[in-house]
Amino acid sequence: MKRWHIRDIILVTILAIFMGVIFWVIGPLYTVLAAALAPFGLSPLANELLLGIWVMAGPLAGFIIRIPGAATLGELLGAVVEMFLGGIWGASTLISGVVQGFGSELGFIFTGYKRYNWPTLVLTALTTTIVTFTWDLFRSGYAAYHVPFLLLLFAVRFASVFVFGGVLTKLINNLLVRAHVLPNATH
Amino acid sequence: MNPSLKLALIVFIALEVSFAQVWTVNVVLIIVSLILMLANHVSFKRLLYLTLVPLFFSSTLVWSLSLRGSASPHFLLVIFTRLFVYVYMGGLFTQTTDPLMLTRSLEQNAKLPSKFAYGFLAAFNLMPKIKAEVATIKAAAMMRGQVLHFWSPQLYFKVILAAMNWSDQLAAAMTSHGFIEGAPRTHAMTISLVARDWWFFGGALLLVQIGLFCGLP
Repeated sequence: MKRWHIRDIILVTILAIFMGVIFWVIGPLYTVLAAALAPFGLSPLANELLLGIWVMAGPLAGFIIRIPGAATLGELLGAVVEMFLGGIWGASTLISGVVQGFGSELGFIFTGYKRYNWPTLVLTALTTTIVTFTWDLFRSGYAAYHVPFLLLLFAVRFASVFVFGGVLTKLINNLLVRAHVLPNATH
Repeated sequence: MNPSLKLALIVFIALEVSFAQVWTVNVVLIIVSLILMLANHVSFKRLLYLTLVPLFFSSTLVWSLSLRGSASPHFLLVIFTRLFVYVYMGGLFTQTTDPLMLTRSLEQNAKLPSKFAYGFLAAFNLMPKIKAEVATIKAAAMMRGQVLHFWSPQLYFKVILAAMNWSDQLAAAMTSHGFIEGAPRTHAMTISLVARDWWFFGGALLLVQIGLFCGLP
């Protein structure tokens, strides 16, 4: 199995910075969306809709760098960047970063870091959704919601994670494979 | 306080607070963070920002929890104050910690391998270049009549190519300047980790535990 070298570390950090900048840029979008949905008591939906973008650093780093720990590290560093750029969630951003990154990592662990294709992406999206949702059951008090609303939140979250962490990541990956810049990549 | 210990303390407390349901401890943590931020001359504008944003999100969360769920008033109060704890403690950390000192401390005190410490630093110093590169890519696409959004694969593709290029060059540059992975290093600047840091760390943790488990509401 591949080990971490200085080049990979710099690469995963640059990717994380880029994603951190994106997390930070969509911050206002999140606020506006939450405000628009708030009067109907639907503001958690804003979080669910955009969550896919926040968790994207994990699968993206996992697909590009292909070393155990890449997804977790990518997502955690993205959170660090967001925190120091002035994101306000502070220490909880770091915890979320690890939780989200590990959620994606599980998908790669289950496929043994060998297969980088659609089933892996779907699995990654699923593990990410389950792990982050469990975390939110406690942290954001989701456990107190009525079950139908909880199911809606879960479904929207999975859709978002699938679109951004799955479909978009795969499209980016396809471009990279066609450009022959990914080592040992299979189509 | 030593940056690594401070980080560990804040992350640990945030983790505990996420599961605990004691709003009085939350309020105490908020007040202590606020006092420490004031003592460290955090600007009034920043404090206002750190208050208004969680106020908005806490309110919407509490509103939707009471509308779509079956939460008790006590639980709503816990959730409401919890978000403030995250934001104030995070604000205290970022406003009083220099990222460079944190990385050095992680390497020297927390025994993070030096390849990670210097790899992170090398990349973090590229931050302005990364922002400029994103702007360049967007402008270049506009000249061809393409608009790139945060959901466009092309944008990510081009940034990733640049990132691969830079990481190759930076790694080569570091090697040619004598950086060897895993080799023992000396430090031009040492970050101190003294007994006082440990006492402060232990004391703060102990106080939080007492608060959480002595039956406060």
